Amino acid sequence: MKVVVVKPERCVGCLQCRFACAVAHSKSGSPYAAPYETVLSKPRIHIGLSKNKDPFPNKCRHCDPAPCEMACLTKAIFKEPSTGTVLINPDRCINCGMCSMACPFGVVRYHFYPNNRMAAHKCDQCIARQKEGIAPACVEVCKVGALRFEDYNKVMDRDTDELSTLVYKGIRTGAQEKSSYQSLTEYKHGLEELRRRQS
Amino acid sequence: MHAVIIGLSAAGLSCLDTLLKFSPQVNVTAISEEKYSPYCRCVLTHYLGKVVREDQMYIADIAKYPENVKFIFGEKVETIDVNRKALTLSGGKEILYDKVLVATGANAIKPNYCDEEKKIFTLRFMSDAKKLEQHIKDRATVLGGGFVGIKAAYGLLERNIKVEMIVSSPYPLSLVLDEKTARFIEKEIRECGIDVRTQEDIAEINMKQDRVVVSLTSGAELLSDVVVVGKGVKPRVEIARKAGIKVDLGIMTNEFLETSAEDVYAAGDCCETMDIARRVPWINALWPVAVEQGYFAALNMLGEDVAYPGSIGMNSLKTHSFHLISGGVMKEESGVTIFERHFPQKKQFRKLALKDNIIVGMAFFNCPDDAGTYINLIKKGMPLNADPQNIVDGEVSIADLFKPL
Repeated sequence: MKVVVVKPERCVGCLQCRFACAVAHSKSGSPYAAPYETVLSKPRIHIGLSKNKDPFPNKCRHCDPAPCEMACLTKAIFKEPSTGTVLINPDRCINCGMCSMACPFGVVRYHFYPNNRMAAHKCDQCIARQKEGIAPACVEVCKVGALRFEDYNKVMDRDTDELSTLVYKGIRTGAQEKSSYQSLTEYKHGLEELRRRQS
Repeated sequence: MHAVIIGLSAAGLSCLDTLLKFSPQVNVTAISEEKYSPYCRCVLTHYLGKVVREDQMYIADIAKYPENVKFIFGEKVETIDVNRKALTLSGGKEILYDKVLVATGANAIKPNYCDEEKKIFTLRFMSDAKKLEQHIKDRATVLGGGFVGIKAAYGLLERNIKVEMIVSSPYPLSLVLDEKTARFIEKEIRECGIDVRTQEDIAEINMKQDRVVVSLTSGAELLSDVVVVGKGVKPRVEIARKAGIKVDLGIMTNEFLETSAEDVYAAGDCCETMDIARRVPWINALWPVAVEQGYFAALNMLGEDVAYPGSIGMNSLKTHSFHLISGGVMKEESGVTIFERHFPQKKQFRKLALKDNIIVGMAFFNCPDDAGTYINLIKKGMPLNADPQNIVDGEVSIADLFKPL
């Protein structure tokens, strides 16, 4: 199953994914017309700044089982079985605010939809584009490779391989002794730099 | 395996779906007392406000279920024979089971002045909402200042009805929030147009022609068309008690949601599980909690032995002007430090209650973006990595909370 994989350590915080996302979900689908629509299309990916001002792209993980789906009172949130994407049906949504309470990653927001009703709003992994065989808009536009559209089993395998190599070289033990890393991003930066020095 | 589910609301339905998801061949019998197909009772207040159509309330299509699922509607379970593994229905039919889930839910607490002839209603079932709808004209009184009371009052307000709310405690939401936060919410509710009277109680209720006259202990008299009572719920444990299953306030369960009897599981509003924030067995009668318990009960019924981590009290109150999300317990006790920050311009506040560097309670007002993260930190009981003052200032992102492995 292909998902959008986020590599926070590569993100530079240019916010191009946010613009591309809003355009892709607008009525016109054009970057020139989208800002002038009556109901503005809002981005579904959020870039938060951490304490050390590191950007962190935050989007829906499409969990299984999804806590938002469990908390939804009217079954407006459902799982599309073929792609495993968690979707929102804005016509059934009653805007009760339960899903943002349940989401452990804080990605559900409330915005107006083109039919002028406020409803829960989150990433749909560009399901319309996927059906046409194109990658999601945020992935297409990301210049630094922080967002990738890949099979998650493959990504897990590759990342585990990388990490195990580092462990083998004894780098991880060194990194643990220091334990001066403030955040996940900094830790990954550290690992990257150590690897560069090694090679 | 033949699984039987008693009660087809949040927990029962979630259990049924999970059983079918992980083992599509399992034989299931689902017994429901109500004649309607499953609907969401939390939406009844929205239904009163005409925000929701009736067809939006139904959450499952019975016709779409496969043949190995049998539904029995409109029948009650009389007894459970734990030794013979059989249960009898009110029609006299006997059903044998391998595993049974008791998800009988809860009833609304009806104080002794409750009388449908005097137009005093509770709001728990679809039939209640329909009866209420017939009697409403332009004035209503809501008793009780919990989440249900406020939501019902707000639902009625959406219909352009003048609503008076009577709260017996000094401030609304007194069970979950501390006084300062609750006072703030009270002010917001008043600004919506709901008249809140605190520290008042009912002295007498009389009928005057076709209107209800509510006399309060302070001497004031209120005229209204209907009275809605939202004084909490009481778990339905009669069946379990008759069967000899251990019952405290609700049906007692272990961490696998199994009751004292073998192969009898309990989930939903009727069962007592560990409350993570309070660290005592507690009933959290909430829809999302019931769905979660149904999921875990189904896994355990299939023999997976997945421990249920416990529940917390959490709720979300959303109106046109504000969105409050609260979780855990926000009480000023010994050992609990409260961090808060109020942004008057943005009409926001964040509030956290910490005990030994573990979050035990939170209340976020108008910032739904990161509320869920902290609710989940309460659920996990995880020590906090970030400075709580920075969190309430809104300067911390999710990257700071989850540190390297």
